[in-house]
Amino acid sequence: MPEIFIDNKRYEFEQPGKVLQFMLDNGLDLPFFCYHPSLSIPANCRQCMVKAGMPVFDKVKGTFELDENGERVIRYFPKLMTACSLDLADGMVVHTHHSDELVKQAQADNLEFILINHPLDCPICDQAGECPLQILTYKYGPEGSRFEHKKVHKPKAIQLGPRVILDAERCINCTRCVRFTDEISKTHQLTIISRGDKNYPMTANGKVFDDPYSLNTVDICPVGALTSADFRFKARVWEMNQTPGIDISNGKGCSTWVWTRDNLVMRITPRFNEAVNDHWMPDSGRLSYRIFNENRISKPWIRPDEKEQVRTTWNNAELTLREELDKVKPPEILVIGSPHASVEDSYAYKAYFKSLGVADFYFLPHVIPGSGDDLLLSDDQAPNTRGIRALGYSEVAGDKLQKLVASGRPKLVFILNDDILDRSDLAPSHLEDAYTVYLGTNHNSTSRAADLVIPITTAVEHAASYINVDGRIQRTVPAKETLYTNRRLNLEMSMGRPDHYGTKFDNWVTDANRIDCIPAWEFITRLNSGSDTFVWESSRRILAEIGKKIPAFQGITYEQMDENNGIQLKLEQDSEVNTI
Amino acid sequence: MSETKSFNAKDLSEIEKLTAKYPEKQAAVLPVLWYAQDKFGHVDPSVQKLVAQTMDLPEALIYGVVTFYTQFYEKPMGKHVLDVCTCLSCQICGGYDILHYLEEKLGIKAGETTPDGKFSIQSVECLGACAYAPMLQVTNDKYVNHLTREKVDQLIEDLKAGKQPGFESNKMPQHENGSD
Amino acid sequence: MPNDWKTYKPLLLPAIKDLHEISIYEKNNGYQALRKILKDRETWSPKNVTSEVKTANIRGRGGAGFNAGLKWSFMPEPDGKPRYLACNGDESEPGTFKDRKIFEFNPHLFIEGAIIAAYAMQVEVIYVYIRGEYRPFVKMLQKAIEQAYEKGYLGKKVQGSDFSVDMYTHMGAGAYICGEESSLMESLEGKRGYPRVKPPFPAQRGLWGRPTTINNIETLANVPLVMNYGADWYLRIGPDTHPGPVLYGISGHVNRPAVYEYPAGMNIMTLINDVAGGMRGGKKLKALIPGGSSTPPLRADMLEGVTMDADSLREAGSMMGTAGMVVMDEDTDMVDLIWRISYFYAHESCGQCTPCRDGTGWLEKTLRKIKNGDGELRDLDLLLAICHRMEGRTICALADAAAWPVRYSIDRFREEFERKCKKTVYAVA
Repeated sequence: MPEIFIDNKRYEFEQPGKVLQFMLDNGLDLPFFCYHPSLSIPANCRQCMVKAGMPVFDKVKGTFELDENGERVIRYFPKLMTACSLDLADGMVVHTHHSDELVKQAQADNLEFILINHPLDCPICDQAGECPLQILTYKYGPEGSRFEHKKVHKPKAIQLGPRVILDAERCINCTRCVRFTDEISKTHQLTIISRGDKNYPMTANGKVFDDPYSLNTVDICPVGALTSADFRFKARVWEMNQTPGIDISNGKGCSTWVWTRDNLVMRITPRFNEAVNDHWMPDSGRLSYRIFNENRISKPWIRPDEKEQVRTTWNNAELTLREELDKVKPPEILVIGSPHASVEDSYAYKAYFKSLGVADFYFLPHVIPGSGDDLLLSDDQAPNTRGIRALGYSEVAGDKLQKLVASGRPKLVFILNDDILDRSDLAPSHLEDAYTVYLGTNHNSTSRAADLVIPITTAVEHAASYINVDGRIQRTVPAKETLYTNRRLNLEMSMGRPDHYGTKFDNWVTDANRIDCIPAWEFITRLNSGSDTFVWESSRRILAEIGKKIPAFQGITYEQMDENNGIQLKLEQDSEVNTI
Repeated sequence: MSETKSFNAKDLSEIEKLTAKYPEKQAAVLPVLWYAQDKFGHVDPSVQKLVAQTMDLPEALIYGVVTFYTQFYEKPMGKHVLDVCTCLSCQICGGYDILHYLEEKLGIKAGETTPDGKFSIQSVECLGACAYAPMLQVTNDKYVNHLTREKVDQLIEDLKAGKQPGFESNKMPQHENGSD
Repeated sequence: MPNDWKTYKPLLLPAIKDLHEISIYEKNNGYQALRKILKDRETWSPKNVTSEVKTANIRGRGGAGFNAGLKWSFMPEPDGKPRYLACNGDESEPGTFKDRKIFEFNPHLFIEGAIIAAYAMQVEVIYVYIRGEYRPFVKMLQKAIEQAYEKGYLGKKVQGSDFSVDMYTHMGAGAYICGEESSLMESLEGKRGYPRVKPPFPAQRGLWGRPTTINNIETLANVPLVMNYGADWYLRIGPDTHPGPVLYGISGHVNRPAVYEYPAGMNIMTLINDVAGGMRGGKKLKALIPGGSSTPPLRADMLEGVTMDADSLREAGSMMGTAGMVVMDEDTDMVDLIWRISYFYAHESCGQCTPCRDGTGWLEKTLRKIKNGDGELRDLDLLLAICHRMEGRTICALADAAAWPVRYSIDRFREEFERKCKKTVYAVA
């Protein structure tokens, strides 16, 4: 197998590739700024310079030339090479800063050059704490600067577009942002303008950087030149916890990082998932973090005799619901599921009503035709449409929903977390004759029309799985406490870096940020108390149960999903799987 | 403020001809920008937009190109742009003297345009007329070599009178001596 | 052989009236080399033409001095898909103004050379990239190209053969860096002129990803001479290692600054004193930049016996570059001069690579400080340190070109730099 020697250690490689990526894959460190594994290689930052050479091959003898010590004679390239653009070659010898003083010096020199025109404004820069330039300067940079002139001044705080703000002075001209709009989002909205140390990225005159993926440029900016208009000045990186999640604002289900501080989600950024979203995610998914904080249903609400909804206790909500259930026969119950609800919630919801004798389970797809693209946005606006199809819910179109209510005249209507009034012909008046129960996360037109509202957890408060438009099952981890969970006790919750290091910034003190809600499956378990048919302790148990009943889910576990960033399911027949 | 600019049928057929020289249309960006600058006198944002639309290329790309090349005027310039070379040979042969004389004469600094919009002065890099220093170029076209104050005076007067400088051929001394 | 400069008759730019007209050029042996090749394709197969040019060792006149025929031989075998020849007439290196003479006085010699090169590399499209400032000269070349098309030297089936070739001019728009061959290709493709990472080299992946060779205008103008009179004849002009005629562009403080054509390897003092008429105003020679702004300046006392060819200049501590010689007299302020050169490079850095983008600006600012009398002695060491950190650390050679003049002039004119620096006097109690 071809071999390469890095800092005098031998490595084998199978695939052709570049030295820098190979080193990263092998956990070796080398500083770099402009390189990005999913973009073209401009080799312009010059930070990943290494000393490289090839053994001298004696063609006549057919062997490598050896020196007096029996070591291979190495012919080094006359200049230092950028590892990002250097092809792996059999027998190649590479020296990094670990084994070569010149390389070490060159890395420091390069950082000195980068820093001469870079403002020293880390204390007020959003990027501080997660800034490659800051980190690499600490690690590889010179101790001081010998630059004693005025730095080049460029425009600051330029609103490039609705979501991205540019500080051109911080820019180090790595061109990652330009390459992103050229190669990934293909909107070609950015360019570098001017030349030399006066250049910086910009949109065309009068053009707005409204690329639906614009915030990815903020992620990949190795400095604080591009910052998020929404997140700007909201939180310091070291104050936040970082929990893996998935984007539930769209059918694609991008892998995400959920950033929390004091039990509020501060921002959402993409998490690398080769099978789904690579390093990227749409802006819309990031900005959906608000639904986890704002307008939340906290505590059950009830409508006493055609009056305004008022808060009530869980006990009262439960008792009222039992009474309503006792009043009706199964055919008089209309059960509407939701493509926005998780696999586990949807399963529990359906299983419960099926046990009561309800036969039909409907859901209203949340699809906006033409809103998707070839990249990471699907027409489907919901995270689990394929999931609930697989669980046997039947699709009902928006205009049909009203007829269903009109002809069936249900006395009791259950709606799971979906603002169906907003996207169907169904109006509050159609539900007047029925007692309507809404299990939801946020207040909306449907919750306001309901007689009883049960607050349930969002994707950042429970562990649950969702199946994306491509049939991949992925799961979430609680990133945010509810009134009933504690991140130090709940084993599903991940502890952030600050937890481990105990920084004083990591105080989750504001009780108002803890929502009074429980997972839908847990509420159903409560409803069913007294019987031991549907008593689940955790969503894991539910998933295990689904695995036993539906072949496509067989053997699927959270551990598996965690390990592989989700699992591709074989969902050939999305149709009715009414085995529940 | 900015009126809508457009290419007429003749322009479009010229642009098509320029594009036909290359396997990919983007290659014609520089020629088309030159063409547009000849027509409009500059390639300000409105012209850049027109070029982008005409060539069906991203506006940002055109903007990036325009700002990379110093001969493209990003904003309207004086009717006559006097590019005075101050680089190397011209520097040591009095290029700055000529530049300063021009600045004084026209009452503007390098990089500025006279209030009447007639003249702009720029201090530019080597124009490749090193033996004929000091020299300047008039609006990206003719070179005026061997400048003296008198020659500058004459040039300004000619330009004011609407007379463009002619092409100055700098013969090789070897041609003068050993002509067949 | 015309190696005595006094009797030398120019070959590239002969003193023939109206030679730029194709009829006059044809009358003076013009397009004979091309005709000869096309008439006897067996003797003059593309491979043989390449090998003849390689033997003649035409060293690239754009500055690098690389054997042109050898460069041609890097082109891969034709695969039926397009391949290109790009002719580099960007000529933006300060002190250089020779190619414009070819466009003005003998454009057909260049065109013929380019056609032969295209034939040798089996290329069907030639682009001539010319700096935008040379607009008047582009028009001249354009006219000559039209004439060549009319006479069937360009276009489909050149002179009735099965070889077809097109030639287009492409005007730059003010960017020194576009004289760098990969940047030239980017510019030709309609982009910002950023030099490309090598490898891949142009012969592997050039214009639009296809094999491409880039040659200087003067280099190509030498090709018809080689093909007309043979490599052996050509090799007898000038020094063994640097043969052929050279266009010397002499500017600065001499009495007759101009472009002169003489064999390579001319004695520098002969060029200054005899050819260019000596120092202006009888002043003393102080320094010489031998081949454009990036070549290290030489002190007058370093010029004894030095000749204008790669080997001799290397020995003297400089380079041949473009043979654009800038002559400076005793009154020249070296600090001012080097600052202006630094300003040029800072202005022309494309801004891609960190060491160049920020280094050229740093050099310029520091030199400006010294020029303005605010410099300190430690600034000189700092300048050397910056130069050292820029050299060899970037994609293209602009950073090196910016560093050399600074580094070598501090080395060679240190006293003058020191004189400009503030004298810090420490009071001793």
